Amino acid sequence: MSNDSIVQIIRRSDGSFVDANLVRGVKPQDLLIVEREWIADRTDILHELLDKGVARENWPQSLHWNWQRKAPELTLLAACGLGVVCERQWQGVMMTKSAPYVARLGADRGQPLIYIDYIETAPRNWPIPEIGCKGVFRGIGSLLFWEAVRQSREEGFHGRIGLHALPQAEVFYQQACQMTPLGHDAAKQNLLYFELSRQQAERLFQARGEQ
Amino acid sequence: MTAKNNRQQPDRDWLLKMADAEDACRSISVGGMAVDILGAQATLTAGESQRVFGRLIEYARRAKGWSVEQLAKQADIEIGEIVDIERHEQAVPQPRTVYQLANVLGLPPRRLVEVAGLATPHREVNVAALRFAARSEPTARLTPAEREAFEEFVKVLVHMSDGGP
Repeated sequence: MSNDSIVQIIRRSDGSFVDANLVRGVKPQDLLIVEREWIADRTDILHELLDKGVARENWPQSLHWNWQRKAPELTLLAACGLGVVCERQWQGVMMTKSAPYVARLGADRGQPLIYIDYIETAPRNWPIPEIGCKGVFRGIGSLLFWEAVRQSREEGFHGRIGLHALPQAEVFYQQACQMTPLGHDAAKQNLLYFELSRQQAERLFQARGEQ
Repeated sequence: MTAKNNRQQPDRDWLLKMADAEDACRSISVGGMAVDILGAQATLTAGESQRVFGRLIEYARRAKGWSVEQLAKQADIEIGEIVDIERHEQAVPQPRTVYQLANVLGLPPRRLVEVAGLATPHREVNVAALRFAARSEPTARLTPAEREAFEEFVKVLVHMSDGGP
């Protein structure tokens, strides 16, 4: 894993920054481990939600995901997997594709972009107040998103990103990540499609002091 | 797992700010595998959003007795853009356009963004939007039935903004 690097995530209990490995080149077999690690937490959360009678619309919308099913996709040439490992556990995973997706937004229309197929943080990191879950680490989704923007720049796509967000995540991608919503996509389970244009990516790089 | 090629650390202030934004949402998940959990939350399709949004803007404008030109001037939007919206010919309006229209037409911006297809609508908004679409027809002046349909829809949007989720 020669492309790994050290990043920092935040421990919720004391707000401290903790070193973690950013793993580039996640392999299909890694996703089997991810699912094995996460399935127990998902099951516990589901039981708690049912026990406490939490309304279904307030359940985490990725509760039924299964990363094991995504493993074959990682063998595609255009697919890339990234993950964050801390304390020997996978804390978040992302899968991106560099083809055949192109931008739909304004001046970038038709230009290549990095499409984020999936991002998810480990269920142990989800704060779910209704069942008393506080989560262990935070900031992982943001780190992964930012890596996708960097990947887009490295591929020569100028930071252009596209993704379909789950409804609970729309505000994050529109407001915090400054992406533009481009409408619901019937071809993708009617999820809302977002894009980060070259210009928006440049503003993010400037805001982070990375030119 | 070895760690080589260390790259620039993300700025801690940036990460704290983004982590707060993550926590403000229930999820930051991206992807399409959660369809079973979304089943109970069917949303307007892109075409339906376009139609409902266009019709709502048209009704709101006519309820105020404004021409397209007057609305364009009030909202600082190109006339052609409003025509496209009302004819449902614009795929998805720009967020700025939606906010400008909400302001001048006195509609709740957050809910109008949902109706425009720029955010997933809450179930109540969705149901109200579909009901509105079924009851409205384009004519020069609002008939009593159209006015009733329009007012009912706006009532739901305002209610959802005041005390709804």
